[in-house]
Amino acid sequence: MSKLTEGLTYDYLSSEAAPTREARIETCNAFGGSCNSLRTGMGTGCSKNNSRKFAQGGGCQLNLALGIVSSFQNVVVIIHGPLGCGSNNLGRAGTRKTARILKQRPTTTDTIWIQTNLDDTDVITGGIEKLRQAVLYAEQEYRPDAIIIGNSCLPGIIGDDIDTLLNELDGQIAAKVVPIHCEGFKSKYVATGYDSAYHGVLKKMVEPIQRYEKALPNELADSNEKYRHSKIVNLFNVGSTSYGDEVELSRLLTALGLEVRVLPLYSSVEEISRISEAALNISICATHDDYLLGHLKERFGTEYIIDTLPIGIKNTNQWLRVIAEFFKLEKEVEKLIAIETAQLEEALEPFKKVLKGKSVFVGGGETRIFTTGELYQSLGMRVVGLKPHNFDRFAIPMIDSIDDQEAVIDVAPGQPAEELVILSRLKPDLYVGHAQANAWITKLGIPTVPLFGQSFNYMGYSGAFELARKAARVLKNTSLSQKIVSNVALPFRPIWFESNPFDNIKEAKV
Amino acid sequence: MSTFIERAKVTCALGGAIVTLSALPKAVPIVHASGGCAGTLSGTYNLASGYKGSGYCGGTMIPTSNIVENDIVFGGEERLEEQIINTVKIIDADLYFVVTGCQVEIIGDDAVGVTHRYRNDKAIVLAANTPGFLGDSFKGYEAVLSTIAAELVEKKDVKEKKTITILGIVPGQDVFYRGNIREIERLLSQLGIKANTFFGDGETIEKIRNYGDASLTVVLSENYGIETARVFEQIHQIPYITTDLPIGASRTDAFLHKIGERLGIEPAEIEALLAKERKYYYSYIERILDIYTDLDFQRYAIISADTNYAFPLTSFLADDLGWIPHIVVIHDDIDDLRKKEYELKFKQLGSETKPKVVFELQAGQLLNHVRKSWKYNQNDKYFDALSPTFLVGSSLEASVAQKLGAGFLPVVFPITNRAVLDRGYTGYKGGLTLTEDIISALVSDR
Repeated sequence: MSKLTEGLTYDYLSSEAAPTREARIETCNAFGGSCNSLRTGMGTGCSKNNSRKFAQGGGCQLNLALGIVSSFQNVVVIIHGPLGCGSNNLGRAGTRKTARILKQRPTTTDTIWIQTNLDDTDVITGGIEKLRQAVLYAEQEYRPDAIIIGNSCLPGIIGDDIDTLLNELDGQIAAKVVPIHCEGFKSKYVATGYDSAYHGVLKKMVEPIQRYEKALPNELADSNEKYRHSKIVNLFNVGSTSYGDEVELSRLLTALGLEVRVLPLYSSVEEISRISEAALNISICATHDDYLLGHLKERFGTEYIIDTLPIGIKNTNQWLRVIAEFFKLEKEVEKLIAIETAQLEEALEPFKKVLKGKSVFVGGGETRIFTTGELYQSLGMRVVGLKPHNFDRFAIPMIDSIDDQEAVIDVAPGQPAEELVILSRLKPDLYVGHAQANAWITKLGIPTVPLFGQSFNYMGYSGAFELARKAARVLKNTSLSQKIVSNVALPFRPIWFESNPFDNIKEAKV
Repeated sequence: MSTFIERAKVTCALGGAIVTLSALPKAVPIVHASGGCAGTLSGTYNLASGYKGSGYCGGTMIPTSNIVENDIVFGGEERLEEQIINTVKIIDADLYFVVTGCQVEIIGDDAVGVTHRYRNDKAIVLAANTPGFLGDSFKGYEAVLSTIAAELVEKKDVKEKKTITILGIVPGQDVFYRGNIREIERLLSQLGIKANTFFGDGETIEKIRNYGDASLTVVLSENYGIETARVFEQIHQIPYITTDLPIGASRTDAFLHKIGERLGIEPAEIEALLAKERKYYYSYIERILDIYTDLDFQRYAIISADTNYAFPLTSFLADDLGWIPHIVVIHDDIDDLRKKEYELKFKQLGSETKPKVVFELQAGQLLNHVRKSWKYNQNDKYFDALSPTFLVGSSLEASVAQKLGAGFLPVVFPITNRAVLDRGYTGYKGGLTLTEDIISALVSDR
């Protein structure tokens, strides 16, 4: 039930892998212009095949796919590939512990991953035998509930048939064996990784709920249960949501009398298998989970809400209203919104005074940056530019929320070279950006706020307060970025700062 | 045939090449691979190497050809050429270096050929084949440095007697590489020896061009840097020796003797330096004597490390700190002969107890090895337990230390629960720093 997914279908499980985002939805990752010209560009479809003359590192869908599944409880992830694929787990060593402690999940075991360590011999002979040994090792050493295998570029190109092996092993060992086809070269859109992960999850981990005839029927108990089930909602968390976000959004939904289950990150395999047991599936971010929610609707008939991202007052209100409408709680939600916004507006006053008239640039995931920009705008700031990593149908309605329709848009996964030239001209008072972007901006002398973070709250009303508070605090002392700009060099030739960064984008040949 | 590895404490050849290039002065990698390789591999080290960060042109800044499925079908050489040309135009570097990922090597792109075609006077552009399936990070380190030794370093007929080139300290894989190099340079300079370090303070690509005048290559590793040392030997006629990373007083004494003798420095001069340094060293070690002895800070040492660190660390803990070297678990993927040779090193330890040395690729097996190394308590009233223990390893061992009730300090890659700037553990000064960190770990809960 969403305008954003109109015309999309989700019946792909008979295929080995999920389709790529470029095949499934029209999407763009190279575009330079303004809000206005982006709307036109998307409308004519001319932006989808653009590419770059000078490119920098974006992401790999394998990391995003395995980032989801490795958060599940008591699973082992196997990366079928050379030692580099999945090595980013080393950088995350220990970070999952914080989330697990907060969510009161077991912390006794580490995140376990295994690499099949494919080498030049395997390029010729295939790596299936190593994969078999790795699965058996995982089963024997860890007795996990699921062993989840991420397939990387190398076996993808040489044609290792992992599905045949994994189907065979699935019946022989206690763990569920789940293949995930997330070869990096297959898609230039890392968001394909979400679909790749959920493709495997839907195929192997989700089961229909078994119901048994009761020996002694009890009408009252039955109707109680039915009523309860009619109020259960699944709230779908994503890699960039925090426990604070989950608490806040659950608080609001609970206030509407709903019973909230937060899925699927950090869930147990058992909880994921029962994912179909809900009256409504609620998305926080369309970019992340339309593949999952769309499929669940087709397979189990579970309705879903895919609307906006609940960051900022306007978008939180909108998100709540759509959900309330589904449950016919229109009156109740207005009461809730009235109380919440009145309290919040009062609390925001002191921050508005500080932030008023200041300019901000936001870079990162498409839905997140537009909603975050809208929030700062509502606090009196000017959004002077946005850099979505990619752009597609899920964010098109959000363009209108930006007051200045001539604000700069650079659709670019990473690509700090382009972004830094733009920022050197716009000179915003504040930059809000994705991880791995903020250090570069600091070198330009611009203070930054991270766009997301495991220990911060961004969503709902409390998230709006936290974001306001954070921006005001950052602006209280900008000494670090000021010192850095005069002491640390960026790696560009002077000529680059004088050029038009959008000349770097090659227009699609029609 | 190689085997699968649980939580490998390395990345792939491409990762090693990228982190090596990012550590060279004003050098920039151009990664010919799929879009995620450069950022992911660089990102691993940016975080897991004590938060060393992206640096000058690492992380998301790395120029890369971002090969997609279409290029896999039709070849990616054209895209690479475009990327090289534009990188030189936009990015300010003294050295550009094309490195390759699995995808383009399987389809047979000739990245080295493309790079050679592009060579001109405007910029230095080198290239090496570094696909992930070539092996671990150390392979990438060798590929980059041996290419530089062969193609960038100029040939010199006259050698400087007291100039040496240092290899074997692998950036990123050695979290403390800069601090470690600095102290070695400081010690050598006191004997009048100039060290070419590639990655140390004040290095430039111009200086690296002149490394051909060294009279000796010193590889601070039994396994890594040797391929490059051989290139220096064959092309520049510079012989090489291998030695252990000098951590703390005992190992540094041995290191300076070895280098000094090899370069023909008077033994008296070496002894004078050692005496001066030891005096300094023990004037600070003296500070911990009270806390060490009053609280009985002698520990059974459990060491989980690579071959670059395993023996030097064990030697420091046993020979300098007086701990009992109980078990050393080493995670390098090396052949049996080299394993045997490496094990022999532990006979040099001053401690009466020699450690059990185990080679184990799987990170999850450490706890099992420790448990197997000591008899089980059969519910005895009086039981001589393996306690008190202290574990020196990587951040991955934090939970093992917790399960053992052991003190814990991560020293080996990956390190995600410490930030490392100019800290180093080599030499006498490094020994003091390591002592400081270990004692701090023991009292940090106060």
